[in-house]
Formats: sequence, structure tokens, C-alpha cells
Amino acid sequence: MNYPAIPKDAEICRVLTCLHQKFIVDFANGIDVARDHQRVQRERSGFYARLRDGLSGKGARRQAEINAPLIDGVEASLHWLTELTESLAHSHLAIARVNERVNSIKQEMATLANYSFETRQGLQEVAQRLNNRCDKIEEEVARIDFVQRVQRNLSAVFARWEGGRFESLSPAGRCFAALEELRWGDFGDYCRIHTGQERQQFLQEATNRAIAQLKRDLQSTASERFGATLWLKPPAGESTLPNAAEALAYLAEEYPPQQNPFVFVSAHAVEQLPLHVPRIMSATRLSETLVEEVFTRDIYA
Amino acid sequence: MRKVAKVGLVLSGGGAKGAYQVGVVKGLVALGIEVDVIAGASIGALNGGVIACAGSLTQAAGRLEALWETLAEETPISVENPLGALSYLVLLSASGLKMKMALLLAQRAAQLAGIPFPVDNEISILSDKPLQRLLSAYLDVNALERGLPLHVSVFMSSGGFLDIAQIAVAEAGLLETPDSQFLHVQSLPLSEQKNALLASAALPLLYQPRKVNGKLYADGGQGGWSRAQGNTPITPLLHSGCDTVIVTHLSDGSLWSRYDYPHTTIIEIRPQTPIARDSGFLGGPKDLLGFDTRKIRSWIDQGYHDTLHSVGRIMNSLQAYSHLQAAEQARMNSEAQDADADAALSSAMSRLRSLEN
Repeated sequence: MNYPAIPKDAEICRVLTCLHQKFIVDFANGIDVARDHQRVQRERSGFYARLRDGLSGKGARRQAEINAPLIDGVEASLHWLTELTESLAHSHLAIARVNERVNSIKQEMATLANYSFETRQGLQEVAQRLNNRCDKIEEEVARIDFVQRVQRNLSAVFARWEGGRFESLSPAGRCFAALEELRWGDFGDYCRIHTGQERQQFLQEATNRAIAQLKRDLQSTASERFGATLWLKPPAGESTLPNAAEALAYLAEEYPPQQNPFVFVSAHAVEQLPLHVPRIMSATRLSETLVEEVFTRDIYA
Repeated sequence: MRKVAKVGLVLSGGGAKGAYQVGVVKGLVALGIEVDVIAGASIGALNGGVIACAGSLTQAAGRLEALWETLAEETPISVENPLGALSYLVLLSASGLKMKMALLLAQRAAQLAGIPFPVDNEISILSDKPLQRLLSAYLDVNALERGLPLHVSVFMSSGGFLDIAQIAVAEAGLLETPDSQFLHVQSLPLSEQKNALLASAALPLLYQPRKVNGKLYADGGQGGWSRAQGNTPITPLLHSGCDTVIVTHLSDGSLWSRYDYPHTTIIEIRPQTPIARDSGFLGGPKDLLGFDTRKIRSWIDQGYHDTLHSVGRIMNSLQAYSHLQAAEQARMNSEAQDADADAALSSAMSRLRSLEN
């Protein structure tokens, strides 16, 4: 039975949702119905069967029952195909819209990525500057700390000299011992690492303090000259430390005598002075030369 | 299938081929389908009775299987009238296909043998006592009262021979038999309910017609012969408000037409391979009364597989269609949120760009 096609968006389809179901049921079930009739029709191909089916009208009815689902099936196929095509069109449109939006999001994403890159770059620069600054501050702090330790080292050594700790040694030996103490301490480390004005200032300060202490020890002036015997003669008496001379010689072991004649004579009990060593000298001459030999000669390089 | 409609089940008549309906019910259970109303003709009425009084379709499938196992072991056919060889020819007439020829042969043979051929309405060849015993065993009248609404197809009998003659004329396409009537079993008095079922299954001449509400009724499958109006009783289900009806057929190429019921969603379960097990001149009657184990089991299997095939195909299509609609709806719902998302992104990007400037 044929009915006019009902549009998919017709109001009746919204009211009777089962209409869609009926159309699918008729479509799918119609195949089984047609197949059943077609099978029987094929079996009834004998003369009497055909004659009987023709006379009774069963043949025509069966054919009609085969035709109806086929026609309905084609119509349903068209209906379904139309619906599927519409759905597919909607889906494609939706995909196109999704694609547009994805592209738009990609562009925004690119903007964000650039922004992120620039931000990160800026942050890295700031971090680098900050690190440099911190390094500098750290260096400065380390330097200040080092300078402090050098100062403490300087003060401590000359305080020990002033306190009479080196009295077992000759005046020149005291000066060498004090300078050796400095060389093995923070003062020496500083002089090994650094060059320049500040190092020079420290060496000058050490020289000055040595001159001052020698002045006090000999109760003289800085430029007053004394014979070598006075400078090099170790004190005698019970209060002197045993082995002091050996210790001093041990400290001077690494100084080649030819390059460091003042060190050599200050640390060893020599009977004959080397030619390079003056027979008379002032506290200034002794201090400056010992500082030079201990801190500026090759041994120190 | 989502149960959104009132679902009716039509169980048509076909004698021993009714075993096919056991398979159908099992198939419906497997597919998770429940029914709300049942209508049956002949053997379909008896099967319908068992289904209606069961608590669920699952229970019904079990009971039907047990009943048909019994039928396979003890045939419900018991010869009451000693017609000897004639009885077989009369059975042949019951097939409806070679009716007229068989009837004439039976009459001629009776005349030649000097045996009076039965003409009285009350005379039948087979006793329905075995059927009554089976009904008593498997049909709980009290449960039926509370069970699914059951309609049976009955035919107002004009006497066995006249009924047969009417069918023969209808079979020849000359004149249609009167339409069958449909009885709502639960509306009948309790004492009449089993009678109504037996009446619906009372093949003319083979079984005695039954009186229900004072009227003599015989096999409901006889009415509206060429359209199978009585044998495929969909009409009471439409009157009950069913909008989806599952129709089972027990013959190959049944000429019952779904197109006579354009406003109803009809799912036909037709045999996908020949349901006839015997062929030749006596094939029809042999199948009709073929209550033997081999045939019954094969019909149960066939009904089960045909149901899975036919209903399964529809369910798959409906499911695909439903998925398509759901997907479309999901797409539309998703698209409805696009504007908000776009606006949010646009606003955020504008703020970002304002920083750059």
C-alpha cells in the first residue's frame, strides 16, 4: 500500500517518534517477507501448481506480496539514504567548522607560544643578569672575606712577634720567620692568587710592620744601620727555644741561596757572608729585601 | 529492543509445526523482548495459553519446551472413530491444501467399503482427551486469570463437512470463508476458558467442535481463509492498542499480508528455510500431525534461529538508526557550547594582546 512520503522534519514525526521505527522495521522485515514468498514461488513452478495458483489468484497475490516490500524497500532506501546524506552533510559541515576552529586555535596557540617564548627569553636574561650580579656579589664577599683573613693573618703574626714568640731567633731570623708564617697563611694565599695594587699594599704593610717591629726590637730608627753580626746573631740564654735554628733552616730549605741571599743568611748560621749581602744594613733594607725574596722571587711564582 | 510500545504476539495455527513457536519464544527471550498481549489460533492458542499463564516469557519458554517434549514422547492424537485407513485420508483433508480431493477420496472409499461416512457435527475422528490432559498439566487457569491478556481465534462451525467444503471453495479462490471470531479468554467464565482454547484448536472433522458461550466453535484458522484472517489473529491485538506486533507464521509463504495493517509496526517471523518437513501428496497432513521428536526439535531450532535472524536484523537496524540520531544530537549539543568557548578564548587572547601593546 502506498502512502505519500512524510518529510523527516514534519510535526507528525516529532509527535510519533515510532514512525521512524516503523519505517525501519518495514524496511528490514520486508526483506524476510519477500524472501519467504520468493522461495515458495520458485518451488511452485510445476504445471499444476502454476495452473492452480493462477486460477485461485494465489500466484498474483504472492507476486504482489513480493513486489510490495521491494518497492517499499527501495523507497525506504531512498528515505534512509536521504536522511544519511543529510546527516553526512551536517557531519561534514560540523567537521569543517571544527577544522576552522582548530585552525583558529592553532593561530592563537602560535601567538601564545611566541608570547611564551619571549617571556621565557626575557626571564632567562633576567636570570642571567641576576646570576652575574650574584656571582659578582659572591666574589666581592669572598674577596672581602679573604682580605679580612689576610688582615687577621697579618695582625696575628706580628702580634706573635710583638708578643716575643720569636725571641729565640736573631732579628733577621724573626723577620724571616714572621714572613714565612705569612707566606704559609692566608696572606701567602692572597699573594699567590692576586696581583695588582691591593697585593702590593699588603706587601708594603707587611714590610712596614716588619720595619716597625725590628725598630722596636733594636730600639733604633728605620734607617739606622747595624752590622751584620747584630742582625744575624741569635740570642743566647736559657729562655731560647732549642732547635729554633734548625727549624728556621728547615723553613728556608726551599730557597736557593744564590737567588735569596738574605733568606739564606737569616735562616742559617753562616760564618762568611755571601758577597751579595751588605755587611751593614738598616731595618728597612733587611725588611724590604726579605719581603721581596719571600714573596716576589721565582720560588714564589 | 527498548520497550516503548505495547507489544503483541500473534501465534498462528499449524498443528505440530507449533513447535516452531517454542523456538520463537526462546529467541524473543534471548533478545530480551517482552510482550504485553497474546493472540493465537489453533495450536497457537494452546501455546498462547501456556505463555499467558507463565510469569514471564523466560518461564514460558521453559514450560513450552517441556510441553513439547511431552508432545514428542506421547502424541496428543488418539483415534476415537474406527475408520481405519479412511482416517488417514481424512487427516489429509485437514491440511487444507489437498482438501477437496482428499475429501472426495475419503467419501468414495467409504462408499466402496460400505462404511457410513460421518456427517454429524458431533462426530470426530480424533479424541481431544490427550489434549485436555496436557492442558490440565500445563495450563494453570488461575494463573491465566492474572496473566497476560490472551485472545484466541475461533470459527463459528457449520458442521465439520460444511466447514471443510467452505475451505475447499476458498482454497480454489471462489468464495472466502466467513471471518473467524476472537475471544478474550480472561473475559470468559473460568469453566469456558479451556473450552475456548480447545475450540480454537478443533480441526474440522478431526476434533469435536466446542461450545463456548452457547455457540459451537471450531478451529479458528478456518476464517478468512485466503487472507489467513483467522489463522493469524492480529485484529484483537490492534483493538487492544498494540502498536508493535510480532507475527509468527507456521507455513511457507503465508499469504497473510502486513500491508492490510498499515498503521501498525509489524515484525513477521517467517520461516527462512522450508518449514515443511515432508513433501509429496501426504506431506501437509504428515507435518500437521507430525508430533515426533525429530520434527519437533528441528522446528524449535528453526523458530529460534529465524527469530534471531529476523528480529535481530531489525534490532541492529534500529540500533544503528538510534546511534545515528544520538550522534547527531551529541554533535548539536557540543556545537551549542562552541560560542561560549570561542568567547572565552577570544577574551583571554585580547587581554594577552593588550599586554603586548
